[in-house]
Amino acid sequence: MRGRPLLVTNYADDQAMLKSTTQTVMAGLFLLFLVCIPLFAPGAIGGGESRIPGPTFLAGADWLKLLSELGIFAMAALGLNILSGLAGQVSLGHAFFMGLGAYTAAVLGSGPGALWGVGLPIWVWLPMAGLIPAAVGIVISPTAVRVRGLYLAIVTLGLVFIGEYVWRNLDFITGGSQSGRNFPALQVRLWREEEALLDLEASGTWLGFLNLSGEGKFYLFILALTVLFVIVAKNIQRSRVGRAFQAIRDRDVAAEIMGVDEFRYKTLAFAISSFYAGVAGALLAVEVGRTIPEQWDLLLSVEIIAIVLIGGAGSISGVLMGSAFVVLLPRLVQDFGNLLQQSAASGGVLATIFDPILSTGPGDFGVVNLSPGVAPGLGILQLNTLIYGLLIIAFLIFEPLGLYGVWVRIRNYWKGWPFTY
Amino acid sequence: MTDTRERPQSPPSSRATTSPASMARDFAVANPTAPAMREKDLGIWQEISWERLWDEITTAAHGLLALGVDVGERVSIHSEDRPEWVILDLATVAIRGITVGLYPTNPVSEVRYLLGDSGSVVHLVEDQEQADKVMGVIDDLPDLRRIIHVEPRGFRDWRDDGRFLSWEELMELGRNHHEQNPDLLDEIMAAAEPDDVITLVYTSGTTGPPKGAMLTNTNFVFCVESVILSDGRIAGNKKPGPDDLILTYLPLCHVAERIFSTWTMVSCGTILNFAESIETVQQNLREIQPTLFFAVPRIWEKLHASIELKGNDATWLKRQIFRFGSKLASVIGRERAANGGLDTTKSRLLDMIGYPLVFRPLLERIGLRRARWAGTGAAAIAPEMITDFIGYGVPLYELYGMTENSAVATNNFHGRNKVGTVGEPYVGTEVKLDEETGEILTRHPGVFAGFWNSPEATEETMTADGFLRTGDVGEWVDGTHIKIVDRIKHIIITSGGKNVSPSEIENSLKTSPYVKEAMVVGDGRKFLTALIGIEFDTTGDWATRQGIPYTTYRDLSEKPQVLDLVSDVVKRTNEKFSSVEGIKVFRLLPKELDHEDGELTATQKVKKNSMTDMFGGLIEEMYR
Repeated sequence: MRGRPLLVTNYADDQAMLKSTTQTVMAGLFLLFLVCIPLFAPGAIGGGESRIPGPTFLAGADWLKLLSELGIFAMAALGLNILSGLAGQVSLGHAFFMGLGAYTAAVLGSGPGALWGVGLPIWVWLPMAGLIPAAVGIVISPTAVRVRGLYLAIVTLGLVFIGEYVWRNLDFITGGSQSGRNFPALQVRLWREEEALLDLEASGTWLGFLNLSGEGKFYLFILALTVLFVIVAKNIQRSRVGRAFQAIRDRDVAAEIMGVDEFRYKTLAFAISSFYAGVAGALLAVEVGRTIPEQWDLLLSVEIIAIVLIGGAGSISGVLMGSAFVVLLPRLVQDFGNLLQQSAASGGVLATIFDPILSTGPGDFGVVNLSPGVAPGLGILQLNTLIYGLLIIAFLIFEPLGLYGVWVRIRNYWKGWPFTY
Repeated sequence: MTDTRERPQSPPSSRATTSPASMARDFAVANPTAPAMREKDLGIWQEISWERLWDEITTAAHGLLALGVDVGERVSIHSEDRPEWVILDLATVAIRGITVGLYPTNPVSEVRYLLGDSGSVVHLVEDQEQADKVMGVIDDLPDLRRIIHVEPRGFRDWRDDGRFLSWEELMELGRNHHEQNPDLLDEIMAAAEPDDVITLVYTSGTTGPPKGAMLTNTNFVFCVESVILSDGRIAGNKKPGPDDLILTYLPLCHVAERIFSTWTMVSCGTILNFAESIETVQQNLREIQPTLFFAVPRIWEKLHASIELKGNDATWLKRQIFRFGSKLASVIGRERAANGGLDTTKSRLLDMIGYPLVFRPLLERIGLRRARWAGTGAAAIAPEMITDFIGYGVPLYELYGMTENSAVATNNFHGRNKVGTVGEPYVGTEVKLDEETGEILTRHPGVFAGFWNSPEATEETMTADGFLRTGDVGEWVDGTHIKIVDRIKHIIITSGGKNVSPSEIENSLKTSPYVKEAMVVGDGRKFLTALIGIEFDTTGDWATRQGIPYTTYRDLSEKPQVLDLVSDVVKRTNEKFSSVEGIKVFRLLPKELDHEDGELTATQKVKKNSMTDMFGGLIEEMYR
């Protein structure tokens, strides 16, 4: 009820996605900001130098690519969150389903050539990239549903290795380990005609006045899809199906006693999660351009799991925060490294501060190595991996609810004012 | 001294007799879709519209008719507050029956007494617990014909017992009866008389068995006009209305809750929100954020204690800010109290700091941020309590009344609030003090029709010229306001011949969050002593933080550290009173006082007589 947020008189209000006017306005403003990012580039509106004021660097090609990647990883993680966060089923096999989605897209979307391809338009291959993995998920689930915990982890782990083996050997589809294969471009066609109705990868003008780069268009497409996937995930979470998942997560035996069909809902969770993974895998492949079978390995699964754990299992905003964290962290570490390098080169106060941790050449001992192969210490890449691992350990120990848990704690601090409980 | 004022003439009612039922009907006809009640079920505050409410009242009334309830027969209700309580109450009034409410805590012996004395013919029990009580004494209740139960659970053993029927079965009977007699209810309601007794409200009986006060339609109408709709009661003189929310949580059989819930609802269309239970009141308050809130001093003390406890238990920064805020509040409170409850420049300036920093979130947390009127009554309260709440921004007013005068006696009006007094007489009432004893006497149309079955008791209570003896000693303050000294029977005369009012001292003791009960003893003795009961939650919490291990209430009471804690409280109280009124010795009670054990009345007032019997040993020990 208005002005009385705790006076809930019907279930619709109780389960509303946006519970208050403030929340709606904040979410709307944030979405508007996201939509405007490509328009921060100079000349984005009507040519010349005119643009929407905002941080210009975000509209650069590298950042737009990074943000698109963020969206794609968020989609994949949303899928795993439904399976692991909501339904409580551990899965290391997410990379397998992503790979399956990617190769489904490649076969259906790419034109005939050296490798097998049918050349169907995007409205066929993108949904199929989700549906085929979902179907495979359903086929596999009877095995997975029978085991839980550690055993389920092993079963799904096996899936990744089987997948890798299969991809390597199906070289008429995947191109094999040596060359890999190309993926269809994001172009909208009615059927197989020559001219695309909409090319989401080449720069061009929209609506007569919006000058967008290819990256900008790609980004907007991913943004729209991510928002759609978030809404669907939220609706799954707050509906009967989501409640059934959570009941199974909290205690499967109790859930069954309450009338939740465990087999059915676990299968459903696998199917939905595989759908999300497949679509995300296809888009990731499209974004990267050329991939080899080894890309869909255990490390990718672990990366998605990291997103869910760091963000906060079971929470959608957590997954989004986790994706941002995991995708943007390498970039930030790299920028930090560059900053170190610059300051080391320019001398001055900063150089003196950073010197002990920097290792610039042989004989200079420091934690961070800026000249790989020459000096001792960790390269930026290793540093990234290290920080990553440490963060997962730290979150599991100190904040099992992830970034979302941190946010909840901050929110509760202010909600409880002037009391603590 | 007499205070008599003219009341503006109310326009003559178009209908013959106004009753709670007729008011409910009129409001429902005018506003069918407006919400009348909310009850929390499965986590959602489910709304009941006026149309549905009146429909259910009609059906229940026909159900009672189908059970053969006649004009003037008694229907008793033994349940926690819930919509069925109000529905059956109004249905009974609609068919010109008499409602008798029982406290949910009433034990078997009192159930027997109350049902036997009132001669109830239909009895509503909430659940199996209350059913067990009445079934234990059913052989002593020849008049009782049928028992209605609301909750279905636990009634399997009585499935074939013809005396029982469920609420659904009553409604089913009512629907059939309504179909066969579509106009009967209207005819009965039209025949209602102003002198019809609508309810028996049993006094809590601190001395002797409870007596049933008969309240009539006239009493009801007078009470609505005087108390609920009186001019100047609420800031801005905005009368209660359909925008207002009430949390219903005190027992509805008590006259105060009946007035501030049911009667306010039927007369103003105010929405009733039923608290889930007495344990969840604080949680429900936060959810509902009522605009009108009446509470007994016990609840205010609890709220106050929980503010203190939570504030001092907060993390460092929050604690500092809370302490600063509560200091500000007491300054603002004293400032406002000295100015009739209104703001002064100083209080306004301080409020500008305190409100955003502490008061607003604090009031939101305790659920009183939207309260535009809050009241305390039915027992004495320490003035500091009122001052503190006024300081936080709760517009709290003390008022005074009793069952026998439909709770119409005195009230602190907005802008003329004198903390420590119970206020000024309502317009159109006569209130005076007995010249000899100082007893407060009232005379007005709200004075009851007498005690049920007990003309002698009625006679004792009334003076020859029609004044009601309230049994409370009062004194005038500034010639306008009345201050209650004490119950006439409670005044202590020490062996030195000094008159002492114990409740003032007791309330001062009870302002400490660690003290729940206090009883001052000293009638005919050389000095005053006190029996003190600790508040188990807060004292237990304190002990835990001090690292004092304890197991039970008794164990905690016997800890020397707890004894020291309470003796500090006693010392601080003694500083406020003259040396004759000082507590020389005190003892902690070894058990929590309880209604079932006969130490408290249903309204949680200490029964002094049975206390003296029960803890006579402890008392004698103090004078040895």
